[in-house]
Amino acid sequence: MALKGLDIFKLSPKKNCKECGSPTCMAFCMKVAQGAVEIDKCPYFSDDAKAMLNEQTAPPMKTISVGEHKLGGETVLFRHEKTLVSKNLYAASVCTCMDEATVDAKLAAAQTVDYERIGERMYVEFIQVANNQADPAVYANLVKKAAAVGRPLVLECWDVECAKAALEVCGKDVILDGATPANYEAMNELATAKGVVLGVWAENISDLYDTVKALEAKGNKNLVLDVTGKTAKETLANAVLVRRTAIKDGDRTFGYPSIVNLAKLTKGDARLETAYASMFTEKYASIIVMSGMSYAQALPLYGLRQNIFTDPQKPMKVEAKIYPINGADENSPCVLTVDFALTYFLVSGELERSNQPLNLIITDASGMSVLTAWAAGKLSSTTIKKTFEELDIESKIKNRTLIIPGKVAVMKGEIQEKLPNWNVVVGTMEAVQIPKYMKDKEYEAAAAVAAAENAAKAASGATVEVKELSFEELLATKVPAIEVKQWDTQYKGYNPESQTFVTIGERIHCIAPSIRKAMDERDPEPILQRAYEQIKAGATYLDVNIGPAEKDGPERMMWAVKLLQENFNNVPLALDTANMKAIEAGIKVYNRTNGKPIVNSADAGSRIGYIDLAAANDAICIALCSADGIAKDNEERMMHCDNMLERGLSLGMEATDLWFDPLFLVVKGMQDKQMEVLEAIKMFSEKGLKSTGGLSNNSNGAPKDVRPIMDSTLVAMCMMQGLTSAIVNPNDRRLMETIKSCDIFKNHVLYSDSYLDL
Amino acid sequence: MSFEPKTQPFSGKINAVTLGTGDKAIVIGGQNVLPFYTFDAPIENAPKIGVEISDAADSWDVPGLVDFYAGCTTMAERAKKAETMEGADFICLNFESADPNGADRSVEDCVADAKAVAEAVSMPIVIMGCKNMEKDGKLFSAVAEALTGKNILVMSAKNEDYKTVGASVALASGQKVGAETADDINLAKQLNIMLKGLNVPAESIVMNIGTAAVGYGYEYVASTLDRVRDAALKQSDADLQMPIIAPVSTDTWGVKESTASEEDEPAWGNREERGINMEISTAAANLTGGADAVIMRHPAAVATIKKFITELV
Repeated sequence: MALKGLDIFKLSPKKNCKECGSPTCMAFCMKVAQGAVEIDKCPYFSDDAKAMLNEQTAPPMKTISVGEHKLGGETVLFRHEKTLVSKNLYAASVCTCMDEATVDAKLAAAQTVDYERIGERMYVEFIQVANNQADPAVYANLVKKAAAVGRPLVLECWDVECAKAALEVCGKDVILDGATPANYEAMNELATAKGVVLGVWAENISDLYDTVKALEAKGNKNLVLDVTGKTAKETLANAVLVRRTAIKDGDRTFGYPSIVNLAKLTKGDARLETAYASMFTEKYASIIVMSGMSYAQALPLYGLRQNIFTDPQKPMKVEAKIYPINGADENSPCVLTVDFALTYFLVSGELERSNQPLNLIITDASGMSVLTAWAAGKLSSTTIKKTFEELDIESKIKNRTLIIPGKVAVMKGEIQEKLPNWNVVVGTMEAVQIPKYMKDKEYEAAAAVAAAENAAKAASGATVEVKELSFEELLATKVPAIEVKQWDTQYKGYNPESQTFVTIGERIHCIAPSIRKAMDERDPEPILQRAYEQIKAGATYLDVNIGPAEKDGPERMMWAVKLLQENFNNVPLALDTANMKAIEAGIKVYNRTNGKPIVNSADAGSRIGYIDLAAANDAICIALCSADGIAKDNEERMMHCDNMLERGLSLGMEATDLWFDPLFLVVKGMQDKQMEVLEAIKMFSEKGLKSTGGLSNNSNGAPKDVRPIMDSTLVAMCMMQGLTSAIVNPNDRRLMETIKSCDIFKNHVLYSDSYLDL
Repeated sequence: MSFEPKTQPFSGKINAVTLGTGDKAIVIGGQNVLPFYTFDAPIENAPKIGVEISDAADSWDVPGLVDFYAGCTTMAERAKKAETMEGADFICLNFESADPNGADRSVEDCVADAKAVAEAVSMPIVIMGCKNMEKDGKLFSAVAEALTGKNILVMSAKNEDYKTVGASVALASGQKVGAETADDINLAKQLNIMLKGLNVPAESIVMNIGTAAVGYGYEYVASTLDRVRDAALKQSDADLQMPIIAPVSTDTWGVKESTASEEDEPAWGNREERGINMEISTAAANLTGGADAVIMRHPAAVATIKKFITELV
């Protein structure tokens, strides 16, 4: 099994001398574990440690390169376990048994399929040239012809003389699929002399194993295994056993990519080839050799391949651009949605069904669905404006009707403001409603209304240049006076030196309609009420989520901070918004009596700048250990952790002011990743780092009566691992009692019979 | 030391469920290994193929289908013809025209069709509804009752209506019931638990865990199949050991690859061949992942998948 970065780290010199080019020993070890650098780059690793690691860090399955293509390198048998990394590639077959006209036709046909689907080029990557007992000159001639196509070759040839002749007429992007138990020594010499990959085939899997062993003994590990048997059944058995032995049993003798030759198995039945190719896409062929590849076969096969080899933790994205539907032109109305591939397929399918010419505009939203993207600040009037500018949509399309998803109707005003020349209309909530909506042209009336409003605005000359106000000016002119009320329970105060678990109350959040409305209208009541309830329940910090707040973020945050702190004895706050200016403004009016403000949150991707913001303002920063999408494993989580830690430290932050968030994952969907999250917490703790996170995410979608049980069990397990804080609902009594009890067991609080009431 | 393959049969086993009666009755499930892993243990029952007959089949314009059903005017005539299709194991009646937002055929008309089919054919019958939950509730209960004793499978009970469908189909009429979820393994398990809680025997439940044409989010289907089989076999989870049926044709014949005309997509070539290959690829992918039965439409696709199964078990 592959060694983990942390295991390597234990053996490392831990000098952080940077001589290897990595910022820390930890970062270096992570890279070694991923195979990104050689361990020899470090001058201080002991020879014993190196020898041990070289043996153990070898992955269970080799990655073999042919030209620009990579084969193998898999670490799991099923995509849900992690991800499959090297998609299967296709080869079209020609043979010495074919006449010249057939060969020419086949080589031409192999190049016809060539198209793009969701950012991926779909074509036949290899030409396979089979030798059917031909003379060396005849075979070499055919190989020469095939090489002229300009794609890498698979030379299926067990005759040494023929192979020799063939290698003389082609380049190096070749797999010599020719070694057998009978000829492997000679073939090995040919392949190594030319520097090409050697393919190994045998009558049965046991002989195949022995031949690979013999080749490895001769020092050749640049191999692929031709697992084609006499029947499809035998071939499947070979393909599965080879892969399973390598990955599950860790026997690296079978840790090589595989070739499956369907041209041999189906004898020209193209439909049966489609069926088998579908199976071998899921079950372990690295190269599938086909008699040919028509569009009818390519469309399903490449679609399936794209699905199977999608990283389960990274959503499939489509390119942001204009997609004309049903023959739309510059005079057709525009429909906008996000770049999540499933959303695109759903929406474009329904638009096609409407039979109306429409321009579908896909905007960049990091591959998230509409509501998720909106909540994460990845779909906003700013991101939409950016797409419109980058794609130059205003000059490409004359029609000015822009239909936005019904689920983000709240954005209509902001989009209208950012795109004043467009008539923004709110579309349907669900994709299935689209055909009717479009056929009935429901949007026309709404567009007319929007156009009239725009015209009125333009006539009144409302677009006066607004001068950007300083925080002091904003405070003086835009933030309403705070009315302080009398409360029967007050915030008790917090000592940041204390070791007790920090709960960050999550209930002041703009995803709640009542809070969103209160924020919009600067209505203190609903916000104060929720603050009161959380403080009464014992929350340490309160999270203040003001939403994406693109327009009036700074004055919104200043108001919210003052409102909460002045009413509740300077309760410490976590400032939570995608608007960085708003966080900065909030900190300007923040009172630090009960602890520093928390910036919620940075990540290792597009939100890395939040660390800079926290550093510049002497704030605590929640650091989410993911870049774009969920980290695929703890190696990646810890790499992000290291990068963010280093950035914070270089900006003068205390290590303990970065609170690392492993990103809690929902049990319904990611049950098999829960233990990994718990391990990550332990790793933070072992490095002496603090940690936090949206713990209740684990029970999303579970029944109301089950959630407190799941949340409190998980918090106990997390606290055992060293979690120091969590973003939770403090009004979940079971959870809060569990946390208090854990603090007793951890000896952070002195026991008394009334400890639960304190 | 030479190589000795390690076999991996599991202690967990998929339930064997019988559909239909008499000589043509079929059994799906029963194996304790992953699909086609004959090297681990023999496959108890080969996967089965159902042929879809729709009450909207008049709109099927693909020449191969038009020719195959030439002269057939009723569902019963089509079903009788479908029985002769090479590779067919059972008949699936799709009552899509019952949709109140579409043709809104009456429950009585559908029941009459189902009865006529049951008299005309001897293969097992599977019923598909119109996806309108209220209408399907009535339709399923009436068809199940009318075909009492035929041991049919009614697809499907969902999270929202499992009580009424489970009670009328499985308990009152003694038929088999499909448990339908959409790429959600937790809900798939929960739905089976709820159906069992109604006293529906485990051996009367078949799962439809979600469908998609290849290229259209099929990765969710693939991973759900992998995970369901993992739980059923490796963890011996009795609440996920139901055999799986995958309706293929209803998805694959609706996507662009199968519907776009040759004028619109000149590079793509013959439309029928595209549709056939979409159906074959999606069926093969489902069978490789764990489906114990697939529902298909085109005779050429059915023949190919039959050959595929025969070669592999």
